[in-house]
Amino acid sequence: MSDKKSPAAKAGASAGAATIPRDCSLAELPVGRSAVIVSMKPGLRGKKKFADVGLVPGTLLEMEAHAPFGGLLRIKVMDSSLSIHRDDAANIVVRMQELP
Amino acid sequence: MSRKYRIVLAGNPNCGKTTIFNCLTGARQHVGNYPGVTVESKTGEFMLGEDEIELIDIPGVYSLSSSSPEEGVAFEELTKPGIDLIMNVVDSSIPQRSLYLSTQLAELHIPMLLVFNMSDEAKKKGLKFDIKKLQSYFGCSIVQTVGSRGDGVDKLKDALAESLLHLEDHDVPKLTYGADVDDAIHELEEWIEPAMTDRVRHIPARFFAIKLLEKDTCVMRMPEFQGLDAIIDAQITHLYARHAITAETFMADCRYAMISGACRDAISFTQERRREISDKIDAVVTNQWVGLPLFFAVMYLMFWFTFTCAAPMTDGIDWLFGWIQGLIERFWSPDVQPVLRSLLIDGVIHGVGGVVVFLPNILFLFLAIAFLEDTGYMARAAFVMDGIMRKFDLQGKSFVPLVLGFGCNVPAIMATRSIESERDRRTTILVLPLMSCGARLPIYVLLVPAFFAVKYQAFVMFLIYAIGVVFAMAAARILKSTLFKGDGEVYLMELPPYRVPTAKSILLHMWDRGVMYLKKAGTIILGVSVLLFIANNFPEKQKYDVDYGAQIMAVAADTSLSPAEQAAAARRIENLKRAEEAEYTISGRVGKFLEPAFRPIGFDWRVTTAAIGALAAKEVFVSQLGILYAEGEVAEDAPDDEQESLRQQLRRAYTPLQGFCMMLFCLLSIPCLATLAIIRRELNSWKWMFLEAAGLFALAYVTTFIVYQIGLLLKIGTNYLA
Repeated sequence: MSDKKSPAAKAGASAGAATIPRDCSLAELPVGRSAVIVSMKPGLRGKKKFADVGLVPGTLLEMEAHAPFGGLLRIKVMDSSLSIHRDDAANIVVRMQELP
Repeated sequence: MSRKYRIVLAGNPNCGKTTIFNCLTGARQHVGNYPGVTVESKTGEFMLGEDEIELIDIPGVYSLSSSSPEEGVAFEELTKPGIDLIMNVVDSSIPQRSLYLSTQLAELHIPMLLVFNMSDEAKKKGLKFDIKKLQSYFGCSIVQTVGSRGDGVDKLKDALAESLLHLEDHDVPKLTYGADVDDAIHELEEWIEPAMTDRVRHIPARFFAIKLLEKDTCVMRMPEFQGLDAIIDAQITHLYARHAITAETFMADCRYAMISGACRDAISFTQERRREISDKIDAVVTNQWVGLPLFFAVMYLMFWFTFTCAAPMTDGIDWLFGWIQGLIERFWSPDVQPVLRSLLIDGVIHGVGGVVVFLPNILFLFLAIAFLEDTGYMARAAFVMDGIMRKFDLQGKSFVPLVLGFGCNVPAIMATRSIESERDRRTTILVLPLMSCGARLPIYVLLVPAFFAVKYQAFVMFLIYAIGVVFAMAAARILKSTLFKGDGEVYLMELPPYRVPTAKSILLHMWDRGVMYLKKAGTIILGVSVLLFIANNFPEKQKYDVDYGAQIMAVAADTSLSPAEQAAAARRIENLKRAEEAEYTISGRVGKFLEPAFRPIGFDWRVTTAAIGALAAKEVFVSQLGILYAEGEVAEDAPDDEQESLRQQLRRAYTPLQGFCMMLFCLLSIPCLATLAIIRRELNSWKWMFLEAAGLFALAYVTTFIVYQIGLLLKIGTNYLA
């Protein structure tokens, strides 16, 4: 998935190996971390479907869990839990929030 | 003066819409299907004072567009003329997400009533609503309810009656998207207005203008708006250039911005307590390590509940039909209309009994499924299983039906309704008959000990089940990469917080499924049972090769035999007579006629005839073989010594290889008619049912052919292994 990283994520990574890039794909967001959606990559399928449940730029979300054997992710958006596929999440760019 | 009103019930998935529906209509509801799609339609009636209300429950959707079959159906239903009022159920504990749909419904300018459901959860979360402000915002009344406890239902009815009085002079919502968007909407409206036909004139042009700006496929396709492309595109480019965002998400973005504005204005948080208990449960249930074992435990429990707990009821039904049969036999002498009597007993009663006997399993299964679905566990189960199932090109929700298939394919196929993706659902249904169901077990129980020594028995049994699973998974992959090829639908599923389900909605769900099963499967099976009865009994043999009557008389006269021996000998002769009769019937003749075709897979005419009989129900294979080997009708649960003598005969007649081929063929071949009937119903297509039958037959034939021929060549299993 590294070749699909956004330019911003690359910039963050080159700034120092220890710091987590602030912009990353939703698929890369660690469990327990919150992030704000920055943009949807053009390759994202079902944009409208995601938009309808609140996945639009500016939305705050939290990574709740990863399903066993990869595949699905569970995220909290607007106080409800959604499960989406990792491949789709890879096309959503988010900005990680600072840990509280 | 009493009137009739049509009211549409709309809302998000998991918003408690069904509970409200059940509260209002009680048992007065009808479940059906929308034509062409597997989306369930539900209507109900209730009286409101003098007025008669028809309540139409549309599928739960997040938006009024066309991203899924459910949304398509909801859109169509809501834009039809003749709706008096929309009742919009909102999960008020998550107002932002829920009101998204409400804004779209409000734009239809159909009188609306907002039901703020789950207001207890909202209260627990510390949400306080300024109802007055929200009412003026959406231009309609708001009622707060707790559907699961029935709280607020009376208030809801009062508000409904009040709203129905003001249908002509209802308020309109004050929804604005900001100056530039509103300008674009106005501009488009002017183009749309003249294009509107009578079909759509009851809906404001503004609604269509917004949908066109969203590039909604449903609206874009409407004949009225063809030729407006250039104007729409101009507006879109104009807007999106300024906002640097794509068409599909632009309006969604605007809508959410508008809602969050309204929420800031009219909803206040007094404390922060978010679904704590639910999250704690989920920390375990969807845990990466604990989730799967827990899921398997739940599956086991469900299996046990469906098949073990229902067993006494199944036995009861068996007893009841036996009793009815006994009654007819007692009062209808065999001398009067013997054919009609036999048709009633062996055709109709056995046929109908064969259908009804599954009913307890179906009721118990759907009780369990409704419970797991209403508590919210099913969504978690799909979440934890998805990773594994995806390796076979299926998804998490396919797992439950596949496991149930080991019990009985019929309820298992009905359970596929929870799979939203149409292609995944079809694939699951089509591979399901390969899961070796409970009715195939008697065949293995008869044949495995007949041909295999004790030390091999468990292995052979396991092998048969494993072959079924492997073939099902392989078939799923093949189907998904050929017939159901294409990008999978975008996966998006909500995991609602855990809730205590209401007994009423669980029982109603169970009832719906039970009635549906009896109605649809019953009619087909009854017809076919009669046909099979005729094939298995006609033409009747009038002249026998041997005078059985004389033989029986001779036995009876033979004083050297004890009474018990006499009875046994008489029975044997009686069975020889039945075997001769069976050979003479249509199915016997067909078996003989088809024998050359089945010889390459190791079958003689007897096995072929038995395999035809197995179409009625898989376990009939055992009883048919019993008849043809003149051992009398061997019931599938007959005492072991009775089965043992049939086993000895089989051992003499066939090699273990042939025995294995029989089992293999029974496993893979056309499922029983009940299963075929339910496949037809669930896929809503005769064509698919026949294709499925033909496909499975071909699979069974080719596989058995290969196994038999290779076995012969390598001399595997041609002799009994002790």
